[in-house]
Amino acid sequence: MKYTFHRKQLAIPYAIFLILFVILPLLVIIFYAFTNDNGQVSFHNFIAFFQSGKTVGTLLYSIVIAVLTTLICLLIAYPTAFLLAKTGMRSGSALLLLFVLPMWINFTLRITALKEILTLIEGNLALHPFANTIICMVYDFLPFMIMPLYNTLTKLDDSYIEAAQDLGAKKSLVFWRVILPLSVPGIVSGVTMVFLPSMTNYVVLDMVYNSTYIMGSLIGSYFSAYDWHNGSVISIILLLIICVITFISNRYAEGEEDSHVNPLKKAEARKG
Amino acid sequence: MLKKCLPWILGLGLSLGLTACGQEGESEVITLRVANWEEYIDEGEWDEEDAYEFSDGTVICPENSIVEDFEEWYYETYGQRVVVEYSTFGTNEELYNQITIGDVYDLVCPSEYMIMKMLREGMLTPYSEAFFDTRKPENYYANGVSPFIAEVYDGLTIDGQKVNQYAAGYMWGTLGLVYNPEEVTAEQASSWKLLLDKDLYRRITVKDSVRDAFFAAASIHFHDEITAREFVNQENYSEALHEYLNRTDQETVDASEEILSAIKRNVYSFETDAGKADMVTGKVVANQQWSGDAVYTMDQAEEDDLELCYSVPEESTNLWFDGWVMLSEGLGEDSRKQQVAEAFVNFVSMPKNVIRNMTYIGYTSVISGGESNLVLEYVEETYGADHEEEEEELVEYDVSYFFGEDKDAVILTTEDQTRRQLYAQYPSQDVVDRSVVMECFDKEGNERMNRMWTNVRCFDLKNWFEILFQ
Repeated sequence: MKYTFHRKQLAIPYAIFLILFVILPLLVIIFYAFTNDNGQVSFHNFIAFFQSGKTVGTLLYSIVIAVLTTLICLLIAYPTAFLLAKTGMRSGSALLLLFVLPMWINFTLRITALKEILTLIEGNLALHPFANTIICMVYDFLPFMIMPLYNTLTKLDDSYIEAAQDLGAKKSLVFWRVILPLSVPGIVSGVTMVFLPSMTNYVVLDMVYNSTYIMGSLIGSYFSAYDWHNGSVISIILLLIICVITFISNRYAEGEEDSHVNPLKKAEARKG
Repeated sequence: MLKKCLPWILGLGLSLGLTACGQEGESEVITLRVANWEEYIDEGEWDEEDAYEFSDGTVICPENSIVEDFEEWYYETYGQRVVVEYSTFGTNEELYNQITIGDVYDLVCPSEYMIMKMLREGMLTPYSEAFFDTRKPENYYANGVSPFIAEVYDGLTIDGQKVNQYAAGYMWGTLGLVYNPEEVTAEQASSWKLLLDKDLYRRITVKDSVRDAFFAAASIHFHDEITAREFVNQENYSEALHEYLNRTDQETVDASEEILSAIKRNVYSFETDAGKADMVTGKVVANQQWSGDAVYTMDQAEEDDLELCYSVPEESTNLWFDGWVMLSEGLGEDSRKQQVAEAFVNFVSMPKNVIRNMTYIGYTSVISGGESNLVLEYVEETYGADHEEEEEELVEYDVSYFFGEDKDAVILTTEDQTRRQLYAQYPSQDVVDRSVVMECFDKEGNERMNRMWTNVRCFDLKNWFEILFQ
């Protein structure tokens, strides 16, 4: 028999991986989330989650932590990435390495070190559990924000900036009207890489003595009490949140792309 | 058709052949699958300076681990090769999850409440009658178990089944408070109310476990009742105390939730493992701890010239123990394997192995040694005061409840040891009197308890300002 190679076959390894480790677990989670102990279909766990002030409180708390972490990461990462990518620094990539290097060290190790520094500054870490959580989260996730921003900004065509300047735009106007909109895809992927993990990364909270649960710790506590149903409910809620975020950010990113990246194509599309 | 079936037939034949071989092979080597806590058995390789020498000439300075020594000992004693597949777990829940997911073990060592849960769910095989026969000297467990532990075990039943038929003890201890005497007075540490003490705001840690945290909260809730003189002096004090601290009704759980929420606002953190190190480095000045870990913490602190103490609060303490149980799913009907499992329990209950384990782990064995004086001698060696030192005041410390009345178990020791390692390893009679075994919760109690714990740990909208601006 003659063997013919189809390009489609290249997808087989990933398809197997996808089915075994993404789709099957997801089905198991959905099954547990919508059934009760007797195996009957039930929405009770979902309703209970949103009826309890405590669990909703934890959802809000996780969102507050995630939003703050993401915002601070963005505020630090954007100027940094911009400097590295745009100011013609020769050593840009070497400097980038400095920022990405921490990613290669295990994060519990890094947080342990940071904890000691914070103890030196604050004395008793437990007096500021919330602030410490944010600091450690930012420290942990900053590289994930810098990388995509740096990539987008280096690919940004300088001729756009020059064109804007030629047409008399001030520096600030160039930034707000040209550079920032063009870097939206980088911002979007940075935000998605930081936001959700910071809602669930409860190891950081444990390490900085924050005894309040976030969504991740809630899953852990349900699972260790053999409560697969409620744990799965939390996972589904997180899944829905990421779906919503991805949906919104994709819409936004597409819109931006449409209006700025390729004006010519847009015009063509309109004509057609 | 035949062509299609052929591989299957061949496969079937092959596998049958293999199982036959397997059975044949088994007569040569029996595999015992053991699961135990991490770092909960001596691994050998002692230095010569750590060696113990006893009055009867016994010298303890092992090279190999207990597990390796068991394999060798079993072959020498019974002429049968065994291999121990030794694995470890981190929490009772982890072990239980592993077993329900499908891991198969023959002999495991969970804590008392998990033993009771497993027993209730019919997962355990009882020990054989031969195992409890005290006429046989090789029954080191039955002959060596402390009369005190035997009595506690004897009183434990679940669904009408006696726990002591299914479980052989390994290590035991109390739940108490490690504290730094320079920052915390002995009086403060004499009550679980310490956890609410505003003077120690954010300088105490509590165990991150529902059962341990709840025990402290319930003790605080019932403080006035269970420490009242009439209550303590009543005839059925033990039973009454046991009943109080095993309550899981809604009212008790609600009250505990309130207390635990207040504790959460007052303490440094709920910790799983960091408490020991934080105590030694001085980040916290008191922490809720199991006695064995308390010994470890005090030993570590001593190396840094820091003196820590251990206290068992006046209300009550949770008398806990880890024990060996045999799993029906692992053993099946294999009586030879059961014999190996029972021999393993007997081997770790041999006085010299008890001493090895206690030295390595820092916890207290349930074995007092029976005829042998080795364990008592070891305790005296470790904690007894040097008789030549007369500067310090020496006190008599009575542990005869544990070693039995026929042994002269009064240890002459320095005064500080009655608050430190000796007190943690072998609590005094009054501590034993006010200790209770916290049984496994029933289904409703368990649900209430988990909901309570989630409520305590989740973000409380009422306190949003306080929590966010810290």
